[in-house]
Amino acid sequence: MIKIIVCVKQVPDPTVVKFNIETGKLDNVNYLIDPVDEVAVSEAIRVRDRDGGEVTVISLGPPHAEEALRTALKMGANEAIHLFDEAFDNLDSYSTSVIIAKQIAKLEYDIVLCGRESADENNGFMGAAMAEWLDLPLVTAVTRLDVFSDTKTARVHRRLRGGDREILECSLPAVFTVETVLRKPVYAPLKTILAGLKKEVKKVDAKSLGVDARSIEPAVAMLSISQPKPRLKKTATIDSKLSAHERMKLLMSGGVQQKGSKTIEKPPIDAAKEIIQFLINNGIITK
Amino acid sequence: MAEQGQKTPQETTHPSYPQKNDSKGVWFVAEHKEGKLEKSSLILAGEALSVATKLGEETAVILIGNQVKDLAEQFGSYGIDKAFVIEDKLLEKYTAELYIAALEQAVKSNKPSVILFATTPVGNDLAPRLAARLKVGLVARYTEIEVDKEKNLTVRRPIHGGKAQATVAPLRKPLIGTIDPQLLTMQKASVAKKTQVVELKTKLDPSNTKTRFLDYLKADPCAVCVSEAEIVVGVGKGLASADNLKAIEELARILGASIGGSRRATDEHWIVDERRIGLTGKTIAPRLYLICGISGAFHHTLSIKGSQLMVAINTDKSAPIAKLADLVIVGDMHKVIPELTKQLREVMKPTT
Repeated sequence: MIKIIVCVKQVPDPTVVKFNIETGKLDNVNYLIDPVDEVAVSEAIRVRDRDGGEVTVISLGPPHAEEALRTALKMGANEAIHLFDEAFDNLDSYSTSVIIAKQIAKLEYDIVLCGRESADENNGFMGAAMAEWLDLPLVTAVTRLDVFSDTKTARVHRRLRGGDREILECSLPAVFTVETVLRKPVYAPLKTILAGLKKEVKKVDAKSLGVDARSIEPAVAMLSISQPKPRLKKTATIDSKLSAHERMKLLMSGGVQQKGSKTIEKPPIDAAKEIIQFLINNGIITK
Repeated sequence: MAEQGQKTPQETTHPSYPQKNDSKGVWFVAEHKEGKLEKSSLILAGEALSVATKLGEETAVILIGNQVKDLAEQFGSYGIDKAFVIEDKLLEKYTAELYIAALEQAVKSNKPSVILFATTPVGNDLAPRLAARLKVGLVARYTEIEVDKEKNLTVRRPIHGGKAQATVAPLRKPLIGTIDPQLLTMQKASVAKKTQVVELKTKLDPSNTKTRFLDYLKADPCAVCVSEAEIVVGVGKGLASADNLKAIEELARILGASIGGSRRATDEHWIVDERRIGLTGKTIAPRLYLICGISGAFHHTLSIKGSQLMVAINTDKSAPIAKLADLVIVGDMHKVIPELTKQLREVMKPTT
């Protein structure tokens, strides 16, 4: 028996969302369950189906956050809890984590799973916050999860650079933040989907949770959202050969990064020499 | 949200920092391997110095490990004032829990205003843990820290995977931020300093450690998924036939590269589907992407923008890829690549 809690989030589809310069808002906002959370839910279901137990999904957010929970139920999650209250609007990730942890603390669990980083905020704070508020061991960037229900331990692979992994072991309960490479999301059989449709999402508000959201001081204030402006490595003068439109576009996006673009038309022997020189100059290879 | 935003860091105080103005100093956490500093740490020094200059505060590097004191002097030429050194046999190898315990004690006794990490596996692991431990927020993957006249910080960071940018204000001190060293250039300070070494004594209790290290798996750089590879060799239509892949494999072996390709290359079964790079495949961000015979259609280039360096070998110099690549070789890949492999073999050994 293994009880797993998965923190899920409803996010704008990261592949299509766009920033509209004219309105100063996001366009093409199609909400869906965060792809990395979908992976976490799939993994939780896999472990449960093997060892028995329960998967509970939790989300804090506006009414449409319920959709993410419904997706998880259709995938096969046993229960869903939606933390929803007007007082929970526009919370920063710090306050959000405090409230979710309060809810988790009321439940029984062996494992808490979070995505390593959400697709919308890309901040990666939630997992560490859960571990800290609940005083649990934490492993981040998990690419493989082996759970041993009998001894209540887990062996996990953690993602390092260049495909390297380290293997860690810890006793449960524990928090893991998962990478998308962990698993392909499951496609549930029709029976599971239909059963999921019948399940209810439990609504929990501030009062029933016993928190005063306004008493939690935010840690980071969101001031504005704007067009992405890359940081310049070097300031480059914009090529005057470009059309006015192109130049405007470059200025609006914060200029161009100086590219040492070089075109070489030489016989293979000399061309290969040029490549090698380029690789040495850029520290890719050493003599 | 706007009202909250006008709050300055000074207006909100935190139990761990009872006095408003005693948080001073821009810190960054250095990483090292086998007695050598990581390049990312030297790059981060420049960023710490620039933030510290804007704030009018001191800079300090945190060195954690076993016998790492000697590394401190290297930061002098980067204008770093102090090096806080935490040495312990238990810190020989990176373990998140002990490193955090050491960092927490250092921060609580010295109260910096900013702590920076690089977005490395270690930095990405430590920064959120430290932010949670100190009960402050995290500003991950920021691109710019700005300081106004009242010394209030605002930070810019990409959101929605870089589709938009958020401007945020940290309301508690210290600010904990991570930055991608790729965004920065290594820069020595105009005035070198003598970095003052401050040894910190910390109490570590290994019996409290909840996670145990078991093993390290070294990846074969040629077998690793293209999305995680440091060097990628991409093949496209120009490969022409599966037989020609041998030459590419030889090159990949010597470079320590993973082979990927365009949709064409996977459709022709020259390479497996898992190695497809593009809209319907993987997104890559290697240090080097060597592009062989790929013209650079939109659905491919969309997924290669994170590459630090791109070298293209193509017969057509007006191919779209030529506009993106840092180095364009106009020529036949079937002639250039064997020659490149041959010369690589002669001249050098690949770095890991």
